[in-house]
Amino acid sequence: MNISSAIVHARPGDVAVVQAGLATLAGVEVHAISPEGKLIVTIETEDEGSNAATYERIGQLDGVMSAAMVYHQTESEPETEVSVEAKLRATPQNKEI
Amino acid sequence: MKLTRREFIKTNAIAAAATSAGMSIPGMALAAAPQGADGVRWDKGVCRYCGVGCGVLVGVKDGRVVATQGDPDAPVNKGLNCVKGYFLSKIMYGKDRLTKPLLRMKDGKFDKNGEFAPISWDAAFDIMAEKVKATLKEPTQGPRGVAMFGSGQWTVWEGYAAAKLMKAGFRSNSIDPNARHCMASAVAGFMRTFGIDEPMGCYDDAEHADVFALWGSNMAEMHPILWSRITNRRLTAPHVKIHVLSTFSHRSCELADNELIFKPQSDLAILNYICNYIIQNKAVNQDFVKKNVGFFKGVTDIGYGLRPNHPLEQVAMNNGYPGADGKPKGDPNKHAPISFDDFAKFVSEYTLDKAHEISGVPKDRLEALAKAYADPKVKVTSYWTMGFNQHTRGTWVNNMIYNVHLLVGKISEPGNSPFSLTGQPSACGTAREVGTFAHRLPADLVVMNPKHREFSEKMWKLPPGTIPEWVGYHAVLQSRMLKDGKIGFYWTSTTNNMQAGPNVNGEIYPGWRNPKAFVVVSDVYPTVSAMSADLILPCAMWMEKEGMFGNAERRGQMWRQQVKAPGESRSDLWQYMEFSKRFKVEEVWPADLLAKAPELKGKTLYDVLYANGQVNKFPKEDLAKVNAHAWAGYTNDESEAFGFYVQKGLFEEYAGFGRGHAHDLAPFETYHKVRGMRWPVVDGKETLWRFREGYDPYVKKGEGVKFYGYPDGKAKIFALPYQPAAEMPDKDYDLWLCTGRVLEHWHTGSMTRRAPELYKAFPDAVVWMHPKDAEKRGLKRNDVVKVSTRRGEIELRVDTKGRNKPPEGLIFIPFFDEHRLVNKLTLDATCPISKETDFKKCAAKVVKA
Repeated sequence: MNISSAIVHARPGDVAVVQAGLATLAGVEVHAISPEGKLIVTIETEDEGSNAATYERIGQLDGVMSAAMVYHQTESEPETEVSVEAKLRATPQNKEI
Repeated sequence: MKLTRREFIKTNAIAAAATSAGMSIPGMALAAAPQGADGVRWDKGVCRYCGVGCGVLVGVKDGRVVATQGDPDAPVNKGLNCVKGYFLSKIMYGKDRLTKPLLRMKDGKFDKNGEFAPISWDAAFDIMAEKVKATLKEPTQGPRGVAMFGSGQWTVWEGYAAAKLMKAGFRSNSIDPNARHCMASAVAGFMRTFGIDEPMGCYDDAEHADVFALWGSNMAEMHPILWSRITNRRLTAPHVKIHVLSTFSHRSCELADNELIFKPQSDLAILNYICNYIIQNKAVNQDFVKKNVGFFKGVTDIGYGLRPNHPLEQVAMNNGYPGADGKPKGDPNKHAPISFDDFAKFVSEYTLDKAHEISGVPKDRLEALAKAYADPKVKVTSYWTMGFNQHTRGTWVNNMIYNVHLLVGKISEPGNSPFSLTGQPSACGTAREVGTFAHRLPADLVVMNPKHREFSEKMWKLPPGTIPEWVGYHAVLQSRMLKDGKIGFYWTSTTNNMQAGPNVNGEIYPGWRNPKAFVVVSDVYPTVSAMSADLILPCAMWMEKEGMFGNAERRGQMWRQQVKAPGESRSDLWQYMEFSKRFKVEEVWPADLLAKAPELKGKTLYDVLYANGQVNKFPKEDLAKVNAHAWAGYTNDESEAFGFYVQKGLFEEYAGFGRGHAHDLAPFETYHKVRGMRWPVVDGKETLWRFREGYDPYVKKGEGVKFYGYPDGKAKIFALPYQPAAEMPDKDYDLWLCTGRVLEHWHTGSMTRRAPELYKAFPDAVVWMHPKDAEKRGLKRNDVVKVSTRRGEIELRVDTKGRNKPPEGLIFIPFFDEHRLVNKLTLDATCPISKETDFKKCAAKVVKA
């Protein structure tokens, strides 16, 4: 499966409209909204075609000014468990790499 | 705490997006987990696609790239990705990846008309060496006939190793990058106006400008991350205005305060009108101009870069082609000094009325643009790409945008910036800085200058006279010379010219299939070019090799080799170096040259070029040392193969050309630790704005501004006229044809079309057309149509709405689709100075298929 995230920028005053629009899309979840109208969104899809289609639809939603992609990962065994000790950011913090 | 892998990845994805947006997520701990908590090793990397040069973090698991994310620590993109960068992890894993050398054979032997069959690397190099040696001996071909076509997608050391092999090894300057199709006009513009290549400003201008002007650039689709910085500036600073100039309306126009849709080629008239407006309204920055600028008038009958027998070339007296007496007819680059008053008089005929008449742009819009440039209180950054560069007057139009900025002194300071964007990840870093053009050497040196050749020969520890003084065949000329039988050995890599080059039917295909030529394509997928070759060599790509790219703002960025290439694929670097072992110096150099360096007798080109005591100076142990901060025991495939730190050796030898000469690069080790640095890097500090005291270490205290590319420290303003295009619509072919790209696909799509998401997002090229033009021809949206020019025809569907909205009389077709090769239609007319093709203008017709 594909798991990815994006920052969706809503036109000022249109955050609620965008939120409602995102709610209609399968596999899309909103995790946070900033006062300036930025929404943190994840997209989970089983196949690659619907992943792309979801992007195109987010971009076309009423009130969306831009959708910037951030993270993408393919995972073949999504239901196996990992131990993470509540440290959730696996990507490096070391600016020197 | 236990999580499913899905929950874990999702949490990472949310955290990454939140970090990039500068937001915190309630209830989420953002502490760093140890590297590899879920079996994924993360390291920094650079995007494989465009010239913006976004930083990406690359996640590797079980020897495979499984994840990427925008690098939050990368100053270029601050954690963001465009849709292409988003799916980077997929580009190496297309199902049809090439893994073995393939030669056209019949009855176990090479045959130009045979079928592709796998052979060993050894056998591949055997036949290549045989063809090179035969070409060198063939009187109608010789060293000029040994030619190479590379690209701005070569890593820095690949381009450097290739240029050295060609110019010093085979003693042929017939090496050119596909960057010739992309920004040669920008280069010629820089060299003519400033005497030194590459932008003075940087991406930070996006946060300082009050006005942005886009000239022939659809940044929203082609440079989306830089566009997101401009969008952000426009939305957070209410006074900021955006002007978009284009021959058709596109996505960047959605954010425009002033949209100027002009007739093709009329940008020349608009630029002269702006200069005239500035002068008429007494807005010239007199002090700046007096101290920093000289005025010149260029020759004008320079032709259109077509074949010499074309009627347009026969009447051009300054195209530089041989005339009836065999001598060159003038020089398209020639220019002579004039006064400011002469210049003012020259542009005075470009009134508002005239500019409106030539361009078709409403007068109030032209005036609003001119006013922005003229107003001393307004900081203006101009961006341009292919609309300017792919232009039969591409060098002129680059000169002319500088005219505007120089007249008002809006240059070389935050927010005041004429900025040429690039299309490829290392068009600047490799094609330009390394000098892989037919006329160039590293660090802005050129082969025509005896002092430059002498310096280069010393740097390379080679006898005087090794580097030929003649300019080699450039991209378009290579196609013509292949067709004419003058090239016997042709090696291309990291590019796809059978799809991207102009006039495929008329020149490129017949050239490659000419029995007098042996064509080698190094590639990762069976592209149109690979399938048109005689020999295909399978390549390592992107994270399968250690690399360095240089982006459009002079930022050099490196990455480590993350994974192994599949099967027998090898990097271009390995290919050039290993192939060089096949030649004894005696076999490729004349005796009189070798007599000047008897110590080289009996050596191979590998010994002379790469095992020269400089390139092989750094032992293999250095790989682990240099990269110890990232991972323990690091190594890469080329260094394992040759027994020394190949990349470091090549880099340091190359960097020697620019250090102390205003092209200073940082030490190799530094790049492996930082998110890139912008040259010149002096005393560990990068340079954000060149030519201005306080920013640029090469401008001394008290000098203020100094355009030190020229000995007198001055830039040049050029008086140049509006002239029509090489081919214009007429009664038979009644539409302008413009070609270009779409957001989802990069160039010929050889990578993006293998990311399933991107393929599905935009599977087939379409022709965009005005609804009235469609109606006139009885066409509806989605109808299949035949588009034809004097050179060929293709069939595709018509689109009358959507992202691109051409005016009546113009159609737009992207070139990513290998099943709809728009370059069968394009004309191989070039700027006569830069030799860059005009892919934006030719005459076409459309009928229902």
